[in-house]
Amino acid sequence: MFSKGNMFLADMDEMVKRAREILKKGPLPSMVDWATAFSLWPVHLMTSCCGCEIGAAWGPRFDNERYGSLPWVSPRQTNLIIVEGTVTRKMGCSVRITWEQMPYPKFAIAMGVCALDGGLFYNSYNIIRPWQVIPIDIYIPGCPPRPEAVARSIVELQRKIREEGVASGWLADGERQDLKNIIPKEDLCSWRGEDVDLSTRYS
Amino acid sequence: MSTSAQGIVERLRSILGLTPEAPVEQLKGYVEVSVDPASLRDAAAKLKAAGFDHVKSVTAVDYPDKKQIKVIYHASSMLDESLSGYVVGLATSVDRDNPTVPSLSGIWVSAEFQEREMYEFFGVNFEGHPDLRPLLLTPDLAAQRPLRKDFKVVEEDDYLKSTYEEYTSTKRWV
Ligand code: SF4
Repeated sequence: MFSKGNMFLADMDEMVKRAREILKKGPLPSMVDWATAFSLWPVHLMTSCCGCEIGAAWGPRFDNERYGSLPWVSPRQTNLIIVEGTVTRKMGCSVRITWEQMPYPKFAIAMGVCALDGGLFYNSYNIIRPWQVIPIDIYIPGCPPRPEAVARSIVELQRKIREEGVASGWLADGERQDLKNIIPKEDLCSWRGEDVDLSTRYS
Repeated sequence: MSTSAQGIVERLRSILGLTPEAPVEQLKGYVEVSVDPASLRDAAAKLKAAGFDHVKSVTAVDYPDKKQIKVIYHASSMLDESLSGYVVGLATSVDRDNPTVPSLSGIWVSAEFQEREMYEFFGVNFEGHPDLRPLLLTPDLAAQRPLRKDFKVVEEDDYLKSTYEEYTSTKRWV
């Protein structure tokens, strides 16, 4: 690409291809996965009553912060979303917007039976499942799950990231493969009656 | 001023100008007064002037057989100690097919959001409400009036499905 005495404009396609090759082999992928696994910061999006357990799980008694995980307020600086229980139809749009704002590589944990398949609100007219809204990596059953279960889900997610190379895989591929089963964002936010631009410069 | 149950009934009769035979329901700490939709605003203004300074809840009951919807305002008092032990239900019955009630959000501010809820769940129109939009539901769902008795909930299947397609086919999308 470079030769002595001449200067060429960088061929971007070539550069991206080479960067991806570097990201696919050698020590770099495992370093990316290691770094991501120990900096899982969940955004605080409390959709329902499971959020109380989140408070306990990151409190001094159960202390999930020892896994390198810190609840944060802004979706722009987080890479994990914990759906804390029931998601109503109106809230589904907010969940999706929050998820779209997070930078890659990002992960999602669905917490509580409500987030699995409705739970207490099975057959209700006003809920949707979080897996219809965002791609979910880990499910935690329970109503509400114990804080230990939340801690375990963080550990399981770390294991998944490091063993399957999820974080570096996404960086290398540049896109996610598991988006096909979720509701299109136009349908999800159509009740707002306006065009919602959910694309951000990060996604 | 007497604070016994009988006392509050007497007081309400004098506040609202009701005759002794007027329908006054009595539960423990709860008095329900039924008025016409036309005189609802007057009655609310009189109650407010007499010391009932906030609305605890606004609710509605659907009577499909009588073809009526009953809207109830639960008013109580924060400031007057002799009234704060009681909740007064100011009830009015309207036609089920076209329920129109004058909005009391101008008199009791705390009624504003709850009237929006009654609007989306029962389809009750509140005349003179400053901002009558669905509060908790999406507009397509609010159009179906989900808390009326004749709303049919779509039942989901109880059994696990073997394939993802079969499973999602029983789940409703937005
Ligand atoms: S699983 Fe239980 S605690 Fe969690 S949101 Fe549902 S009802 Fe609430």
